[in-house]
Amino acid sequence: MCSASLAQTPDLTALEQTAHKRHAEWESQAKSLEERLARILPCDTRSSAAIAEVRALSDARLAALNDYMRAASAKAFAETAAARNLLSAEERRAVEASRERADAGQEQTAVDIQSDGLLQSINQRSSLQEPQKLLEQIAALIRQRTAESERQADVAEKTIPILRDLVAKFEARDAALQNESAAFEAERTRWSGYYSARQSRAQTECSITQIGAPGPGPARQPAKSPAKASGKAKQ
Amino acid sequence: MRSSRWLFAGIWICSAAGLMGQTSREAYRQDYDAWREVHGNLERDAGSGGATLIPQVDRAAARVAAFGTNRAAYAKAAAQTAAQQRQILQAGTTRLSPDLAPPALAALVTGELQTVTKTITRFAEDRDRGIQQLRQSLERERDALAALNEAIQARQKAVTTTTAAGTALEQVRIRAAEMIGSETSALSQNSVQLEKETAAWAAYYEGLAKAIQLANAPPPPRVEVTTVAPRNDNGPGIPRARYVGAWTYPVSNGVFHGAQPEFVDLVVHDTNGHADGTLFARFKLSGTATDPLVRFDFQGDFAAAPLQRFPLMSSEGTAGTIELIPGPAFNLLEVNFVADPRQGKINVGNFILVKK
Repeated sequence: MCSASLAQTPDLTALEQTAHKRHAEWESQAKSLEERLARILPCDTRSSAAIAEVRALSDARLAALNDYMRAASAKAFAETAAARNLLSAEERRAVEASRERADAGQEQTAVDIQSDGLLQSINQRSSLQEPQKLLEQIAALIRQRTAESERQADVAEKTIPILRDLVAKFEARDAALQNESAAFEAERTRWSGYYSARQSRAQTECSITQIGAPGPGPARQPAKSPAKASGKAKQ
Repeated sequence: MRSSRWLFAGIWICSAAGLMGQTSREAYRQDYDAWREVHGNLERDAGSGGATLIPQVDRAAARVAAFGTNRAAYAKAAAQTAAQQRQILQAGTTRLSPDLAPPALAALVTGELQTVTKTITRFAEDRDRGIQQLRQSLERERDALAALNEAIQARQKAVTTTTAAGTALEQVRIRAAEMIGSETSALSQNSVQLEKETAAWAAYYEGLAKAIQLANAPPPPRVEVTTVAPRNDNGPGIPRARYVGAWTYPVSNGVFHGAQPEFVDLVVHDTNGHADGTLFARFKLSGTATDPLVRFDFQGDFAAAPLQRFPLMSSEGTAGTIELIPGPAFNLLEVNFVADPRQGKINVGNFILVKK
């Protein structure tokens, strides 16, 4: 199941490239926004359109980033599930290795008993010497396997703590990813709030000045020109 | 005698074929118990017993062959499963790109915040109603920018934590991969060792039967049976025709363990005792594999043993080992290959081929 999830994960590289592209598109417009607005009359429709355009680019950037983070997180969580499965499997294998060690010991004892019996029978029948040699060879093979079983069981026992640590690290990584996703979502909301506030300011600038509004002409002459004042302050 | 041996061998060949993918520890331990029970005190009895012991020797030989083969199959399956499960340790873990929200972004917001704050300060004393409205609007924008700035800082802190967690994870993964990697090779050798023991037991019982017969004059006519082992002819006298030629995976009822073949073409040549061959196969995808195709060449000298093992080199340059094992019938060949793991590639396979 975990493998299937891994296989179905979207192409992270492509999502990352898209996120980079959307970021660059937004950044180029966002950096020059205030400079462009300073040259547009407050009620000029281009003023509102410029802010809306940068906001749309910002939304697209954040959406691409969100897609990338979701896909990366899904892949990461699948890895963690696979690591947990591996730990369970290795724990079972460690138990199995321990049983193998016991089995090998039991088989060795059985062959030793066979060998003793055959040695006694050789006194009665010399023709049994040849099978005795073969039995010795088998005993040697079993001794070799017993030693290897011992070694594998030891290694299996030592491996389990490392894999437990690995799973813990996977889980810590996942928790960090979840925190990062939450932080990203919070930031995304703040960007939206900022562009709303910026658009609101542009409307205020227009309503108090009525400069550049379409129609028969300016409704009133402003006492001061706050839009230009605020624009100059930003230069 | 001969017929009873072949009967025993036949029974367990069928069992072994059926169990190839489902052998369990419990099953082979039952085989072990059955073997020990049948074996009894053969060695002690061999000192004084007559030809009546021979059927018991044959039964014990059949039982140990069943036990040995099932256990080797289990060990092989366990090694292959372990190799597949451990592949996740070979690939690097997923890490988020840290430069998707660069520091310049925070600088942009900070700059805007400073500008808006300065403008608010500039209009602080102005009593003009329009200016006051604008100042209030600017204050809302400043608050939004301040909240955004705070959110950016919180996210950057979260990114730093994720990066550190990813680095710590990678360090442990590499350590685990190094430790377990060598053990995966050792596990794959277990079945080889068990197959050696099985062959040795077959030879032992054969020798024991001979010795008992020799001691009982006149010796009963005895037909030599080369083996009770299930899937090969035991010993160096196996004709090379059991390996050489063109082999294919059967269209239906194919026997395999692990990755399921869709088709397999194997060609083995013999030049004065030197083997060379090519295997080309397509598997059903499962696990982490993304490439269904496997192609490799192999060569080496034929050994004086039933199991032929040759080094292989895949078309991508991956090294490994292939084993050719004569099957229970003349036109069957078991193939077992293991290559170094590569991401997305199938690196282990075990199946029985039919001669074309």
